[in-house]
Amino acid sequence: MHNNVVDRSKDVTILELLDRVLNKGVVLTGDVVVSVADIDLVYLGVKLMLCSVETMNQLKSGKSLEKESNI
Amino acid sequence: MDKMIYAILSVKKKSGKLDALLATLKGISGASLYAVVYEGIIAVVSDIEKSDLITDRSNAIEYASIIESLVQQFPLLPMCYGSLMESTDAIAEMLGRNYTELRQNLKKVENMREYGLKIFCDPEKLKSEFQAISKNDINILIEPSTEVKNSVYREYVRNKLKEHRLEESIMTYVNSVIAEISGCLARLNAVCKFKKMPSATIMVDAVFLLRKDKKDELLKVVNDLKNQYQKLNFVLTGPWPPYNFVDTRIK
Repeated sequence: MHNNVVDRSKDVTILELLDRVLNKGVVLTGDVVVSVADIDLVYLGVKLMLCSVETMNQLKSGKSLEKESNI
Repeated sequence: MDKMIYAILSVKKKSGKLDALLATLKGISGASLYAVVYEGIIAVVSDIEKSDLITDRSNAIEYASIIESLVQQFPLLPMCYGSLMESTDAIAEMLGRNYTELRQNLKKVENMREYGLKIFCDPEKLKSEFQAISKNDINILIEPSTEVKNSVYREYVRNKLKEHRLEESIMTYVNSVIAEISGCLARLNAVCKFKKMPSATIMVDAVFLLRKDKKDELLKVVNDLKNQYQKLNFVLTGPWPPYNFVDTRIK
């Protein structure tokens, strides 16, 4: 159960991260338009209660995301 | 060779802190990071060949991780992935042209962090719940006006009205949830942005900008809301750099 929630946490974090980096932030007018390869930003069947999750350091180091608190 | 811009930073004093940090990081395709400076605002850049600018998961995460490392120490405006300019001179000119707006945005996000909250619902359960409530209203409203009790036209109007009332009821509920969240977060001086029903299963998609020392209070607020709305799923993520609160397009 715990591993399932942690894996789902990681999936959700990656989705959130990709959505921000690709769609948000400061935009340069006249940017190069880049094509998107193999990035699925669709939330499919997300049914989980999730705590706040750590972001980049855990993803990069491959550590399990720690639950800071149960929400 | 083009220049990829990762973020625009504010650095108060000239110190080696930024250079020391950049020396520990690598950009896309392992490129070195360096700073382009214009009067106290700095663009963090790396050299890149356009052919290396593939938007895949790995590069996007790599890009975001650099921004994440920087935001731990400096107020910054994260750039959207794919922000290229042709030279450092062009970048410096761009910083100069947009100096005032960049400064204002940097001030706005200093010591602040972004959090995302998505509230998921079961759309079928939600519809069933509100259908039961609105059913009585429909029956009262549609009075037989002719002798023909089961007119197809009457049925059509009834169904249309039912759909409309259902949508209205659901939207009223969504608005009430948003009002509740806004009320709770007002105490934290959070800046909030909401999207209502962006999909069938996401009832609310919200982002908040608040002081970085308010994280624990935010967690408590969201925990309380989760207990209050037990039929809904709350997904809170963060802290993030302020991606959703940099309302500017650079010229």
